[in-house]
Amino acid sequence: MAENTNTVDVKKIKETGSTLHSKPTVGDVVFNILNYAFFIIFTLSCIFPFYYIFINTISDSDLVAKGAITLIPHQLTISNYVAMGKVGDLWTSALVTVLRTVIGTVLMVMASSLAGYLVTKKEMWHRQFWYRFLVITMYFNAGLIPWYLNMSMLGLTDTFAAYIIPAIVSPYNIILVKTYIESIPAEIEESAFIDGASYWTIYRKIIWPLCKPILATIAIFGAVGHWNSFQDSLILNANSPSLYTLQHRLYIYLNQSSNLGAMMSSGTSASDSAALSSTFNTKIIQYTISMVTIIPILCVYPFMQRYFEKGLMLGAVKG
Amino acid sequence: MSDAAIAESKKKTKNSKAKQSIPKTFAERVSDVVYVILRIAVIGNVCVIFFPNLNPARLSGLINKNLSLFSCGISYNSIVANFGRTFRMGWAQESTFHSLHYCAMLIILMVIVAAAGGCMSLGNNKLKRFGLIATVVAGAGELVSMAWLKSLYTIICNDAIAADKVDKVSPQYPATVNYIYMALAIVLVVCSLAEFFLVKAPEKDARCSMEPKFQLFLMMLPIIALAFVFSYLPLYGWRYAFFDYKSGETLSMDNFVGFKWFTSLLQNSATKRDIVNVLKNTFAMSGLGILTSWIPMAFAVFLSEIKNTHFRRVVQTITTIPNFISWVLVYAIALAIFSTDGFINTMINSVSSQSVATNYLMSDSHMWLKMLAWGLWKGVGWSAIIYIASISGIDQGLYEAATVDGAGRFAKMWYITIPELIPTYCVLLLMSIANILSNGMDQYLVFENAINSEKVQVLDLYVYTLGINSGLIPLSTVIGMLKSIISVALLFAANGISKLIRGESIV
Repeated sequence: MAENTNTVDVKKIKETGSTLHSKPTVGDVVFNILNYAFFIIFTLSCIFPFYYIFINTISDSDLVAKGAITLIPHQLTISNYVAMGKVGDLWTSALVTVLRTVIGTVLMVMASSLAGYLVTKKEMWHRQFWYRFLVITMYFNAGLIPWYLNMSMLGLTDTFAAYIIPAIVSPYNIILVKTYIESIPAEIEESAFIDGASYWTIYRKIIWPLCKPILATIAIFGAVGHWNSFQDSLILNANSPSLYTLQHRLYIYLNQSSNLGAMMSSGTSASDSAALSSTFNTKIIQYTISMVTIIPILCVYPFMQRYFEKGLMLGAVKG
Repeated sequence: MSDAAIAESKKKTKNSKAKQSIPKTFAERVSDVVYVILRIAVIGNVCVIFFPNLNPARLSGLINKNLSLFSCGISYNSIVANFGRTFRMGWAQESTFHSLHYCAMLIILMVIVAAAGGCMSLGNNKLKRFGLIATVVAGAGELVSMAWLKSLYTIICNDAIAADKVDKVSPQYPATVNYIYMALAIVLVVCSLAEFFLVKAPEKDARCSMEPKFQLFLMMLPIIALAFVFSYLPLYGWRYAFFDYKSGETLSMDNFVGFKWFTSLLQNSATKRDIVNVLKNTFAMSGLGILTSWIPMAFAVFLSEIKNTHFRRVVQTITTIPNFISWVLVYAIALAIFSTDGFINTMINSVSSQSVATNYLMSDSHMWLKMLAWGLWKGVGWSAIIYIASISGIDQGLYEAATVDGAGRFAKMWYITIPELIPTYCVLLLMSIANILSNGMDQYLVFENAINSEKVQVLDLYVYTLGINSGLIPLSTVIGMLKSIISVALLFAANGISKLIRGESIV
């Protein structure tokens, strides 16, 4: 009842508010137009590049080479993608990237959830110390070169494991899980404990199912991180092309073409038709790999947006 | 009750508890001390297998210096990477090195057994007994392995002498390292045997169990170990800052140079010029980032002024996408739009008759602003989400009251929305000040080219170029080290300021 009257009040006030401003002033109109215009332009700038690359990859390659495709696709074809499929190293890169995303994410989520649960247990031996031990690593790192030397000392250079193992422990995600578990009523766990369940059983049967929302969130962040990761491939696995990730492969193709571009802009080989045609080929290769790399994220993103936002908000209130 | 009184009473209960518990017998106290030694030996045993300097399996100069016993144990190929010629010419037997691989594997296995034994020592008497069996076995196994290594060394020596190629195979016996392993193994065996007499025999029907605090700790241990190995162990690499090290060499006191690299930062004029340039870029980019850090907030405020929910939702979804693509892809987009045959040039060509082919990425003008623009394009939508959420959390009553008082739209934005967002903004601002030296390297790495290199070299990228590409490991370690220390100091300072002003810490 009380709530009802309240909403009525609010409505009334809103009505009076809107009647006070029933006639929008000129300033309001101008502001609205400018505001809409700004957001429309900015949104277009965010989506147009993807569209532009996409229409180029589905158009006839000769037209793309001539630069005839600007706003609408012509002579639709999937031959570019088919041609891409014949590039062998692309398949290996795709496989490596998919594998690292799946394995890396699964292990990270399991470790984060277990650690997040354990650090909430007050009876753990020196809990506070170990929790700080993990959290400090977020704010402090030895630097790129010592990290690299450490990895090579551990024999993790030029291995697939270099993508997975170092990323298992993620203090930030541990904090997120810990905060979430603390919000679960303690009685649920206590009753199971009284029934004689071990910590492991409680973790598996109670904590894991209850934490699913937060685990989904960190899983998505972790997966995007793995998918986009490129430094580790560049630095640790530089000597094993079979372990390059998709991003690294794309980087190599982009660099090849930009080097050609530099040659051409300096005029040394502008007349060299061979160089030109190879640039155009690299252009299509580049667009197509870019699309292959972007598509998973573009497909997953709209459905997962609420998880992303939840993750961000939880991160903001971490304590 | 005053605090002092509470403390007093706590002390009393503590004392009374201590009195109530049965005083430890002499045997129990000795047992505790011996267990401490045993556990230290186990931890030491686990650690030594990861250090290349402490590799007892390096029986030949041909085996890579950077190979730890662990790597020897898990990969045969890593041991014999440099042996192609040696095996072909028959200067050494491949079977010997297979044995070496198995021996390393055995040691690793024994270390795992010892570690398991060490963990079991945290349990009750029954579990302790099992643990002791494990540690005795592990110690004995390691002693056997050391003898095995010695015999393998003899075989390698004999083969090399028979082929008269001692200098090529260069057999060597890392005696000191072997003594360390043997000492650890002996400590394991002796301590465990002693404990057999010191630990009370468990009752017949006793079951293995462990106190909850240790159970929880052992569940946590793998995660702690990983964090240690990948976040704390790299600090050990800081020692390279004090040596004259080139890739592939070993560190020894011969090439110890003290603070040479630190002083060379200030004395070597070429390095100094580079550093000044890099710092200028770093501070410029971070500074611009901080100066524009209000933009996401403004973005959120203006977006919330739009009353059409669908439109708002679409804008929010699309503008956050760039945050989730990597910098490599951002560069791919930059190429597609701004390169010689990119969108802009194509557009200009299609509307005007003259043909242009400007490569906008191949110029070094306004590099700082361009980098800032790309950063904003990628991040603004995402950064705005936190403000959008804060805005939706603002009490609507405030706006209603303001409306009644006759406040206009801008007045409400300026006097209600923005003040409500300022606390969040302050936290993020302090964090970005603490991160002033860390711009990350991905963005600058992908956009760097021969023409703009001078203007985009930031500290992170400089360390990468210097250390990985040029191989100047000590100098880049020094720079990274100073950067880490200054960053932590800045973080503490930012945190202190936050505590002072808001009474809340940000970390």
